[in-house]
Amino acid sequence: MRLTQDEFIEILQEELDLPLQPGDLDGDLDAVVHWDSMHVLTLVREIERQTSRRVLVGRVMMARTLQEIYQAVAE
Amino acid sequence: MTSRTVQGWKELLTELRAVLQADDGGGDRQWQAIGVLLNRIAATPDSLSGLARAGRLLERADLGSASVSAHGQLAAGPEQVLVTITGTGTLGEFSPALIAQCARHGLLARPTLTDFGGYRRCLLDPPAGDDLTLCVLDSSLIAEQLPSPWRIEDAEQVLASTAAELTELVSGYLRQSSATLVLNTVPLPAELSRQLVDLRSRARLAIAWRALDSAILQLALDHDRVVAIDVNSLVALGGPVADSRMALYAKVNLGPELLGRFAQDVAHLARAMRGRTKKVLVLDLDGTMWDGILAEDGPAGIEPASTLRGEAFERFQRVVRQLAAQGILLAVSSKNDHETVLSVLNEHPDMTLRAADFAAIEANWDPKPAALRRIAECTGLDCSSFVFIDDSPAECGAVTALLPEVAVIEVDGEPALHVASLLADGWFDVRILTEDDLERSSHYRRKPERDRLRAAATSTADYLRELAVEVRLAPAAEHELARISQLTQRTNQFNLITERLQPDEVREAAADPNQLVLAVHSSDRFGDDGLVGAVFATLSGPELVLRNVILSCRVFERGIEQAVISSLLGYAKQMGLTTVRAHYRPSSKNARFAELYPSLGFQSLGDDGGTRCFRHDLAVIAAPPALLRLVFEQNGLLCG
Repeated sequence: MRLTQDEFIEILQEELDLPLQPGDLDGDLDAVVHWDSMHVLTLVREIERQTSRRVLVGRVMMARTLQEIYQAVAE
Repeated sequence: MTSRTVQGWKELLTELRAVLQADDGGGDRQWQAIGVLLNRIAATPDSLSGLARAGRLLERADLGSASVSAHGQLAAGPEQVLVTITGTGTLGEFSPALIAQCARHGLLARPTLTDFGGYRRCLLDPPAGDDLTLCVLDSSLIAEQLPSPWRIEDAEQVLASTAAELTELVSGYLRQSSATLVLNTVPLPAELSRQLVDLRSRARLAIAWRALDSAILQLALDHDRVVAIDVNSLVALGGPVADSRMALYAKVNLGPELLGRFAQDVAHLARAMRGRTKKVLVLDLDGTMWDGILAEDGPAGIEPASTLRGEAFERFQRVVRQLAAQGILLAVSSKNDHETVLSVLNEHPDMTLRAADFAAIEANWDPKPAALRRIAECTGLDCSSFVFIDDSPAECGAVTALLPEVAVIEVDGEPALHVASLLADGWFDVRILTEDDLERSSHYRRKPERDRLRAAATSTADYLRELAVEVRLAPAAEHELARISQLTQRTNQFNLITERLQPDEVREAAADPNQLVLAVHSSDRFGDDGLVGAVFATLSGPELVLRNVILSCRVFERGIEQAVISSLLGYAKQMGLTTVRAHYRPSSKNARFAELYPSLGFQSLGDDGGTRCFRHDLAVIAAPPALLRLVFEQNGLLCG
């Protein structure tokens, strides 16, 4: 099952408790309120749980924006 | 038997967010509500994920800063535990897990993570002011030292040298820090041992690896301030040690599930260090201790053993007896007729536990919170030291609502899981078991005899005369130091400055020629109560400073504290000292003794940063209570 962008955003909001602001998807991760690098791990686990597909973790970790993370997990 | 759908942790997280948003500055009620919610999350499926999420919410809410009041003292609010987390991998997920697990026990963990891989520096130069330092070890500690390619001899050599290095680092740490250091055994990853293709070498690797684990565990036996958590036994509870991808890309060498269980054990340690170890296990009967409902099925119809399901209850009763043998007091709270319950406890052929195993039996039709309060009265222990186990959600809910300080274990219709539920949270874990623990239930068993004597007595004086209390006050002997440390950690009501001391801190004080560490022993006509109290004092010029006095609640109201303090005043005078000073620091539990020093002729000198100071000029010393006999052995004492 491929993850839609809306589902991705829902995971960010519901599972990571991120209060997303407009522009957060494309801005640098450091500018996202409450973001920390450990969130990548939770995000990958949750996406794998929901989609039953393996995420390429190395690619996700190279991403600098949420949009790039989405591209990496939606491949 | 009831079946019900368990509320998932997601709904409970929503409730937690609401409680956190209420934002009353980390007040007691908010904190208690948080604790109750977290304990409910802990009872849901996949609870470790839920607790990690809850921990992140708590971390963000930053409750700690709110509970430090303007003058730098901890305001009324949660007790804090300062923790440094260091280790060999990425440990960012440890902090929220630890915050959540500690909050379940009413403790506010304030973790600080060191830089990645900074464990050597942290142990060589420990941060000041910590309560706990966690040095979380994983297999990278070994794997990263192996050459490529490696042979079994290389691994054996690396394992041995690592054990030696850890031993060195720990010695250095202990010299510089007064905190407690937590280490862990290291799971051996199959990914490592399978790199060896021959089974003999794999066996050698496993043996050498276990030797490292044994060396780590031995450090905890050798040093009072080192604790080793056996992570291997936590791995055995299920779940992977780590995800290989997370380990490789992010150095997350211990996965969130394992770190969650690890944090749970660390929280149990913090709870014990803060005097919050539970002391009493209150058990329901129908559905908890036996299969069936006594009032409906009759004594012959219940099954405490012998049948298939009965065997599960028998196993549960044996584990309860195992806890009791280590000093945990047992009590019954059951909605049943008292006489019928007694007859089952005394006569049913399949019962493992008997009436004499219980310090109190509340079998009646009153609400259980009222029964628990009576058990508290009868044992002299506070409800906050109770664990209550019941299979009825309604009873568990009633106790949680009215007595949120009681730890509630809700079991269900599957008795094979009762033991796991009882033991999951290590409610009774202590650092060291003392002789006194083993004797505790017999001390309490004599209480009914004392109560009968009191009821028959015409006055308190008459009762005390009949009781014939004898007190022995003497410098603490080496073999008593562990028990004295334990008293400082377990005693909350009569602990005048609530100072918790580790065994080596007690030993240090006892060895200091300017300090007095006295043990208080008491006995009465019903038997010996053992070591029931301690006095910590310092000689400072012409003054004796009573730093702290501690007395076990099981010997309250016998005049022992008055006798001890008045004989210390007499001793000071006899030694030619001019003054005795004393301290009292209020806590949520010791208010009952706030006026002790004034009642013994001490003058108040006012408040010094939350500690009340008192002074006695030794002019007029109140006579010790005449109804007890006190022997003060001064051998080896200051100037004595």
